[in-house]
Amino acid sequence: MADRYDAIVIGGGHNGLVNAAYLARAGLRVLLLEQRHILGGATVSEEIYPGFKFSVFSYVVSLLRPEIIRDLQLSRHGLTILPLESTLTPLPNGDHIYRGPDPHETFRNISRFSTRDAEAYREYGHAMYQMAKAVKYILGIRPPDPTSFHPREWLALLKLGRHFLGLGEENLYTLVKLMTMSSADFLEEWFETDPLIATLSASGIIGTFLGPRSPGSAYVLLHHYMGEIDGVFRAWGFQKGGTGGVAEAIASSARELGVELRTNARVAKLLSRNGRATGVVLENGDELHATTVISSLDPKLTFLKLADPSDLPDDLVNAVRNFDTYGSSGKVNLALDAAPDLACLPGDGAHLRGAISISPSVDYIETAYDDAKYGKFSRRPYIDAIIPSMIDPDMAPPGKHVMSCFVQYAPYKLAEGDWESQREAFGDAVVDSLSQYIPNLKKIILHRQVLSPWDMEQQIGLTGGNIFQGELSLSQLFFLRPAPGYAQYRTPIRGYYQCGSATHPGGGITGAPGRLAALEILKDLRK
Amino acid sequence: MSTDFDVIVVGGGHNGLTAAAWLAKAGRKVLVLERRDKLGGAASTEELIPGFRFNTGAPDAGLLLPRIIQELDLHKHGLDFVDSPVAAFAPQPDGSAVTLWRDAERSAFEIATFSASDARAFLAFQKQNERFAEVIASLAQLRPFAISNNSIRLMTAWARFALGVRRLGRRDMMEFLRVLPLSAYHYLNEHFESDALKGLLASFSTTGLMQGPRASGTAFMFLYQQMGGANGGYRSSLVPRGGVGQLSSALAHAAQGFGAQVRTGAPVQSILVASGSVHGVRLSTGEEISAKSVLSSVDPRTTFLGLLGAPQLEPRISCRLRSLKLRGSTATVHLALNGVPDFPAATDPQLLTGTIVICPSLDYAERAFDDAKHGRVSTHPVLEARIPSLLDPGYAPAGKHTMSMIVRYAPYRLREGDWESRRERLADLAVETLAQHAPGFLSLILDRKVITPLDYEREYGLAEGGELHGQMGLDQMLLMRPVPGFIGYHSPIAGLYICGAGAHPGGGVTGAPGLNAARQANAELR
Repeated sequence: MADRYDAIVIGGGHNGLVNAAYLARAGLRVLLLEQRHILGGATVSEEIYPGFKFSVFSYVVSLLRPEIIRDLQLSRHGLTILPLESTLTPLPNGDHIYRGPDPHETFRNISRFSTRDAEAYREYGHAMYQMAKAVKYILGIRPPDPTSFHPREWLALLKLGRHFLGLGEENLYTLVKLMTMSSADFLEEWFETDPLIATLSASGIIGTFLGPRSPGSAYVLLHHYMGEIDGVFRAWGFQKGGTGGVAEAIASSARELGVELRTNARVAKLLSRNGRATGVVLENGDELHATTVISSLDPKLTFLKLADPSDLPDDLVNAVRNFDTYGSSGKVNLALDAAPDLACLPGDGAHLRGAISISPSVDYIETAYDDAKYGKFSRRPYIDAIIPSMIDPDMAPPGKHVMSCFVQYAPYKLAEGDWESQREAFGDAVVDSLSQYIPNLKKIILHRQVLSPWDMEQQIGLTGGNIFQGELSLSQLFFLRPAPGYAQYRTPIRGYYQCGSATHPGGGITGAPGRLAALEILKDLRK
Repeated sequence: MSTDFDVIVVGGGHNGLTAAAWLAKAGRKVLVLERRDKLGGAASTEELIPGFRFNTGAPDAGLLLPRIIQELDLHKHGLDFVDSPVAAFAPQPDGSAVTLWRDAERSAFEIATFSASDARAFLAFQKQNERFAEVIASLAQLRPFAISNNSIRLMTAWARFALGVRRLGRRDMMEFLRVLPLSAYHYLNEHFESDALKGLLASFSTTGLMQGPRASGTAFMFLYQQMGGANGGYRSSLVPRGGVGQLSSALAHAAQGFGAQVRTGAPVQSILVASGSVHGVRLSTGEEISAKSVLSSVDPRTTFLGLLGAPQLEPRISCRLRSLKLRGSTATVHLALNGVPDFPAATDPQLLTGTIVICPSLDYAERAFDDAKHGRVSTHPVLEARIPSLLDPGYAPAGKHTMSMIVRYAPYRLREGDWESRRERLADLAVETLAQHAPGFLSLILDRKVITPLDYEREYGLAEGGELHGQMGLDQMLLMRPVPGFIGYHSPIAGLYICGAGAHPGGGVTGAPGLNAARQANAELR
């Protein structure tokens, strides 16, 4: 005898959890299925090495939508964001650029390189704040369909147009630039200090297969400025207990709302009868029935694996096949016996509670990208490192530390060898690059976990290992995400929906796709 | 107040001459002022080597808007085209070759010899590109709209355009919107498997751009280059009989026929402005000529920071003009040949009458760009070579031939050394690269001339050697072209217009900026 639910959510990543919670909140009987033993997808904390908690994949929080935090009362369920307020860029010549919470200190630091930049930095921050506010509206709406003649769609487009015109001419120009330029070109219109430009432009390459000089990277830059914590834009934070705490908070809220959360439950196939979803069948053969099925997985899995491509129109199948999920990022998690000691700023200090960015010059990152273009991991990669245990002592035993290193570039496919054989060589390249600035690093490493895009695909099912479930390129955004004509969370199979990062507004721990999908589903159910 | 002329057009390139001819036809009193002692600008045919004539800039006029030929009767003024059944011939490292024919079917047949699936994909791909290229061609003839208070007329024109896009059908429209910001790399990989074919097709997706085929927006350039209509899947590349320069002289004749005056060897030193509106120009000789309006076909940075002068502009505008991305990335090598080069891969000598392309793969093109990105000349350059004398004897003495090679990438700013010291090195690289596919090629070379981005700046007046008068990335298009604050062909100075490649739709021998600017100026002429 098979169980029956109103809705079944496939995948227990943060978007799946948010989606399930919103559906349950509307009174639906919801079951969520996660293949792993643990919820969270890429939003997990795991004790990989005894006593050391790693935010294995995603490691900082900023983009989580405030309305979701309110609606799901996440603070009550344990969401605690500790501020991550500074960025240190160590330089090969032993110097450094430090940008901290105190604007005057930051001003002084940047002035050592250029007073002009120090002044521009404030205006830049303000401009990006304006832009983040400008696009905030888009994060909250379902993408309209520009090809439809339905008055609803025209109205949505009209409202969109009015919103943009409302920004005023100058803001609009800046927005167009951000949508189209390379992050380095965009930043060079503001700044002249190369390491500063490099460090800022790095936000434009994170998670994408682009260099800081590639057109399109400025959008990714903007995407990382959309963060908002307690109403403060572009504030980045760190979840107490590691990123997994975010998923746990959402899960706990979902549970309270009545969602049944099942782990170690890998879905094999979508069940459908004459064009209508009827449930799912698990790999263990169990059949679970529901009139609504939502996949938070990437489109290749949602459409080509779970669903039966022969049930789908060719244009969708082609679009999904062409959907770019080629991963570019790796992760190296370190358990450390002591605190890292930086050559440029020896000893303890505020800089250890912030991000340490290995981005000495724009060319450095471009060269790293050049390696990846031809199927090699970067010999000298860009690294964004943080030491969570400095902010949250519970992450590691007393006196010991964990260090999380986000690395680019690590191409999903290697020209020579495979990731099984290259993984540790990649790890060495990362540790070597870091050691140049953190002399004591090699001596204090107790354990090292190296993750390539391929590993992410293996472990959490991200096809291609793309951390956004698909490139954030103009061709894959808004009404084109994940596929032209299928950007409104629906699929050609009635009752089958998508709610992952591969849908608008895209990747990062935003929860927005999960929420927007839920709103669309509820709209359909009310009909 | 009475003025010497209604309109002065600064610069006698094809866009300037198009504007002049159109305005003269409309009954305006027009004067064209060209700095060099010959017309044509970057669309010229010149005797660089005694007895040998070369297309020194643009290798063809394939993108020219047909309506310009009709409206200005250019055939009557001596314009006609030399045609080759071959679009492109691309010898490969393994000794084989890919040929694209004007006749797409024949191209597909050719492709089938090395990839059945690519051959199948090719025809549909090319038909789609033709449909998209048509949309871009109609876009090219529209004036960009402003963010606010546009004229009803302009809005209706755009509405008509939108309807045209809509008429593509739902699927095509979405695909069009998806492809515009795409990279040529992704666009081609989505359709084809063969490196040789993808490389050949990618070769023109970065024309004039300081970008590799992986860059977003290069799919747009790929389609833009096919505006001229069907050409067997390759970029449109019809050459005027007697050389590209013939287009300029035909335009000049047309203009003069309509009563315009054309002066060469007349460098404009400054554009004269009084109380925010233009009233003429001053030549380097000191001579002042007054006019109601001035159209400049010179690149925007030179026009406004050089001829006009920053003090005439708001600081934010002049600042934007300074950061306008020109980024010349193309050099040309012109060779006098003592015979036809022998390409073993060319089973039929006719194959050499199109464009000879050296670009065996997408990665080859990307690596060529990587060098330029880091301020170096490409060690393995992408080459587009033509031997116009094969179809048109006028270029060279009997039995001899001329070859013009476009060499990518040649960055205007070299990280090491300067162009004086690198010029010959670049030429050596180019001819040696070609010689790998044509044994004995070097021994055919009688003489050679190299034009670097720096030469294009100095001799042809292209700032930074930027043939497009501003990179044609998505960030410098439509209302962002040439820089935000300029709407359509207007400048912040009343009566001063831009009619060159720096204006919408951009570079290439299209005549579109000249035509559009002329129509706008004519409508607004006091």
